[in-house]
Amino acid sequence: MKLSTGLGLAGAILLAGCATPKKYTFAPTGDPLADGRTAIAQGPPQDKVLWEYRTAAVCMRRAQFAEAKSLLDDALLTLGGINGKDSGAKKARGYFHEESKKTFIGEPYERVMAYYYRGILYWMDGEPDNARACFRSGQLIDSDTENKQYAADYVLLDYLDGFATVKLAGDGSDALKRAQTEARLGPPPAYNPKANTLVFLEFGRGPGKYAAGEYGEQLRFREGSAATRGAVVQAGSQNVRVGPYDDVSFQATTRGGRVMDHILGNKAVFKSSTDIAGNAALLGGVVAASNRRTQEIGLGLVAAGVLTKIISSATTPAADVRAWDNLPQYLSFAALELPPGEQTVTVQFVDASGRPLPNGVRQAKIQVVPGHDTVLFFSDQAS
Amino acid sequence: MTYSMKKIVPSLFTIAAGIILAGCASAGVRNPSGVPVTRMGADEQGFVAGTGVESQDLVNVTDKMARSILSIPQIANAQGTPRVVLDPVKNNTRFPINKDMFLTRIRVELNSQARGKVLFLARERMAALEHERDLKQSGAVTSSSDPRAVEFKGADFFLTGQLDSLTSRTSAGTSDYVLYTFQLIDARTSDIVWEDKAEVKKQGLEDAAYR
Repeated sequence: MKLSTGLGLAGAILLAGCATPKKYTFAPTGDPLADGRTAIAQGPPQDKVLWEYRTAAVCMRRAQFAEAKSLLDDALLTLGGINGKDSGAKKARGYFHEESKKTFIGEPYERVMAYYYRGILYWMDGEPDNARACFRSGQLIDSDTENKQYAADYVLLDYLDGFATVKLAGDGSDALKRAQTEARLGPPPAYNPKANTLVFLEFGRGPGKYAAGEYGEQLRFREGSAATRGAVVQAGSQNVRVGPYDDVSFQATTRGGRVMDHILGNKAVFKSSTDIAGNAALLGGVVAASNRRTQEIGLGLVAAGVLTKIISSATTPAADVRAWDNLPQYLSFAALELPPGEQTVTVQFVDASGRPLPNGVRQAKIQVVPGHDTVLFFSDQAS
Repeated sequence: MTYSMKKIVPSLFTIAAGIILAGCASAGVRNPSGVPVTRMGADEQGFVAGTGVESQDLVNVTDKMARSILSIPQIANAQGTPRVVLDPVKNNTRFPINKDMFLTRIRVELNSQARGKVLFLARERMAALEHERDLKQSGAVTSSSDPRAVEFKGADFFLTGQLDSLTSRTSAGTSDYVLYTFQLIDARTSDIVWEDKAEVKKQGLEDAAYR
């Protein structure tokens, strides 16, 4: 067999798995809702859940709850179906496919937030038991941390689990106790079973992701930030000051290492080793080939070196840094007991000193109905 | 090409193929491809976890409940035709579900199998029914009977249920046990005249790429 034919064949074999992917292009309009819808409809399939997450958050902030519900239901359907064989995930574990080729479902803190938002929407629809189910699923997702100190430590998920149980005429004391024990930013109050207006709040911009390491094989998280550190919720004669209960960046950074980190580490070692071996073979081959007595061996080594360098080049240890990048930094909650009839609920976001923030007022007119919880959602972010 | 090159080149490609095909970045990772969901008996010892309430669970559970209800003396030997109202099922699991489907399917199964031995009251339609009655009473629409007579039936029994779950999660996977319980409650005395259960346990493990 000719050497050139052999090298060509080797290159073709290696590159066959790297066929030029279908390009997805669409012009962004600048409106995150419109762009999100377009990305969901026309973007790469493996990014669909990511765009559903992002767009759902935008819908929540714009009070377009029906659309948020639809998006989250579809995303959670994908999330719930990840057991067993997944060809995309299998490829992502291979040497020559990037991790970002797998279907995005998010890191645990992102999956938790999908359940959290969906739980809020269930409660809005008068289904506190299904809301509680979402909060419980979220807490379960957070239970598999590397350091068990940080397992299932979302304050609001436990608190809301217990509150929903109280609303369903059950005993929520265990969940309340867990929530108050886990609280780092401030303990949540005891339940008021008569509270009929539930105000969900979120502040700031949450964590981001970036890659570190020689080949970008290490997934790292960039902490978010928030000028808002609390809110004053006013309705009727009531003025309630609330602070954050959960820190999303804290949850992202305390989950610990992933199994995938081990796989990417192996890929990085393989890439480095084959690169070094390729260099050695090329150098040795060139030296050997310069001597007529060892020329054939030298050419063989050069061929091997080229092949090894191709393999090294094709190895993709880069971590997946796709992120649900419009999550909030902080989560908060308030429960009010209001008389039946029309009410106006006003939220003023404040900084750490309690000073009102500019553009930090949100308001909603509601109709309080006996026997039914009114659920409100406010964010200090526009989208 | 010389004899030595003819030996070396194929060997190099074989080695390269071996590197590519035999090596695996997932080395050292247990069950890298994940484990498909398996259905288990509720009394079996499992190893992994998690899946939720699915259609086959709904079918199996409601079939069992419908057969069970028909055999109780209060239904099988009832004087007259008992009236049953559906009371919403309580979901105490970690799975958000359309819980109304359970009672709906039980009702459909009973209606098709009971042949009139038991009747269900459409309490969820009361607003529309009362509106129709009001129209008849006002003379806005015709009526085949005296619209002033109170003919809406009261319930003899309430049919209700509850879903509970136990979940375990370790590095080996997630395990979910769901207990479905249904009751028929005497509306007059609050006696639980019938109760039955079904239980399902499932376990699964996601691909290593998601762990």
